[in-house]
Amino acid sequence: MDVVLQAIAFVFQWQNLAALAGGTIYGIIIGVLPGLGPSAGMALALPLVIKWDPATALIFMGALYKCSNYGGSITAILVNTPGDASNAATILDGHPMCQLGRGGVALGLSATSAMVGGTIGMVCLISSAPFLADFALRFGPAEYFLTAMLALSLIAAVVQGATIKGLVAAGLGLLLSTVGFDVITGELRYTLGWAPIEDGVPLIQALVGLFAVTQALVLAESGESISRLARLSGGFWEGVRTYFRYPASIVRASLIGLFVGVLPAVGQSSAGLLAWADARRASKHPDTFGKGDPEGVLASETATNACMPGDLVCTIALGIPGSVGAAIFLGVMIIFGIIPGPLVFTEKADVIYSLFVALVLTSFVVFIIGMTVGRRLAVVTLLPNEVIVPLILVVSLLGSFAIRNAMPDVMISLAFGALGYVMLKGGFTPIPLLLGLVLGEMVETNYHRALMISGGSYSIFYSSIISKILILLTVLSLAGPYLGSFWKTLTQGEK
Amino acid sequence: MREKFKLTEVWCKIALIFIFSACYVLAIPFPEKSRQFPQLLAVISLVMTVIALIVDFSRKDTLRGEITGVDDTELKVLDAKTKKARKRRLYQAWAIILVSTGVGFLGGFLFSALCFFAAFALVFGSVEKRVKNMIIAVALTIVVYFVFGRTMGVPLLEGALW
Repeated sequence: MDVVLQAIAFVFQWQNLAALAGGTIYGIIIGVLPGLGPSAGMALALPLVIKWDPATALIFMGALYKCSNYGGSITAILVNTPGDASNAATILDGHPMCQLGRGGVALGLSATSAMVGGTIGMVCLISSAPFLADFALRFGPAEYFLTAMLALSLIAAVVQGATIKGLVAAGLGLLLSTVGFDVITGELRYTLGWAPIEDGVPLIQALVGLFAVTQALVLAESGESISRLARLSGGFWEGVRTYFRYPASIVRASLIGLFVGVLPAVGQSSAGLLAWADARRASKHPDTFGKGDPEGVLASETATNACMPGDLVCTIALGIPGSVGAAIFLGVMIIFGIIPGPLVFTEKADVIYSLFVALVLTSFVVFIIGMTVGRRLAVVTLLPNEVIVPLILVVSLLGSFAIRNAMPDVMISLAFGALGYVMLKGGFTPIPLLLGLVLGEMVETNYHRALMISGGSYSIFYSSIISKILILLTVLSLAGPYLGSFWKTLTQGEK
Repeated sequence: MREKFKLTEVWCKIALIFIFSACYVLAIPFPEKSRQFPQLLAVISLVMTVIALIVDFSRKDTLRGEITGVDDTELKVLDAKTKKARKRRLYQAWAIILVSTGVGFLGGFLFSALCFFAAFALVFGSVEKRVKNMIIAVALTIVVYFVFGRTMGVPLLEGALW
């Protein structure tokens, strides 16, 4: 308790409050800019904070990491481009709400989700961090593998009636994740002699290409201004009121976010999609999901914001990042001399709890900024096509370039942009591909580790109770859409 | 049957069949542990793609993209004239992207940014607003320089030529 009080006193020092506010604003701006997510934002901000006090620098980075998700939701809702993979589920209902003329309500929902989801997540994290870390430690390689399989199988819920296509896209994503050095044997695979992909297909560059470049191409092809696509009307406060009309969904989404977050290597994107699919299944009107249902935005955003604290548990307590952003955050911690692991809660308790307290405060700061400045940030949709298209391209490709200061990264982004566009034209959504790419390394590594532990026996994948539950959930998520249509056909036939 | 071959969706799947087959074949020389996972994935993905293709050909109605993640409303073409205009705009956009990236490779990303803004303003902007658009292009390039070049230290002026 004393540590928490000391941390509160530390965070309220002027330089730390300034770092918190700076990180919040910077994070929202980074998130708002299409294609630039928390990873690129942290990578770009690192040279600025490298000489700061470690705790202050981590407060800045933590606020940036947390708030870029909210910024990303703004573009997901208004421009149909997620700032990061974590906002992928927000697109499903956020952008349709915008197209229905309820963009303001969706933004209000998003800001409230950032505050409520983030606060619930942080309070739970601070009070139960050691217990959550213990639970996560029960997962072995087989469970990690099955958890990723569950996340991928949820594509069935995302692609809506096109499960096979979703799985094909996920398969392509998983195959792309095998490009480069094999983490088990060190063998070079599928690089065709091209050095920039020897360390694997870079995730940020792929993300930028699949979403930002593809979106820019669609806009360029349409020749219409975004403002025509996204009418911003409906009050922010209406969004806040709407949010609290769904208390059960808030609780469920927060719990899903926390649960997914605490599982190592399963990040915010999975949390958002899981919560969205859960809200849809629990809803009395599932048909409205994907067409602008506010509950869809609420569920995905609350879960994503509640997930981030859980995500940090794995990153800090185990050194296993739960997402691409968390991986960069892990790197930032190591750069500042804070080595993640179970001992960090005792050896660097002051720094860790200062970060936690700052993140609680950030939840409120992001709400205030969202409700006041968020509307102004929405002017991005009023920009004419000939300005917004090159702006998306320049900022996203520049973000891609700035990570390694290498032009081949720009080429990778453009290649993924072309792939995303062709997929779009061919009736595939790029989200499963991205999930496959993100989870690929974890899936393969744990597949091999599990087999090594069992001496080559596949029984390890269904021996534990956790494994059985995960397999059941995976089968249900894959079979669900078909069972649903079968049941619907049966009942319609009876009528 | 011939109509189905005109669809992008069908060609996408045929291309995927080749990609998955290639992934399987290319993995053959890898050590057993390195090839096991990609080959397993390639086979499963190949089977699913073939199933999806069979479903496409067995359907009597017109194929439609089942997209929920990304807004596809602008991709639904209404008539041949609109289709042609959109295709031209797409080719123009790709030409600008490739030329601007080439400029960036030679002279640095700042020139690339200027090229992006100026070219899109010239090609996609209206003739009446050309001067205004060019001023915006230069202003945005300056903003990019100060935000990324000066504040974040991104080397915007490093290219193959210098």
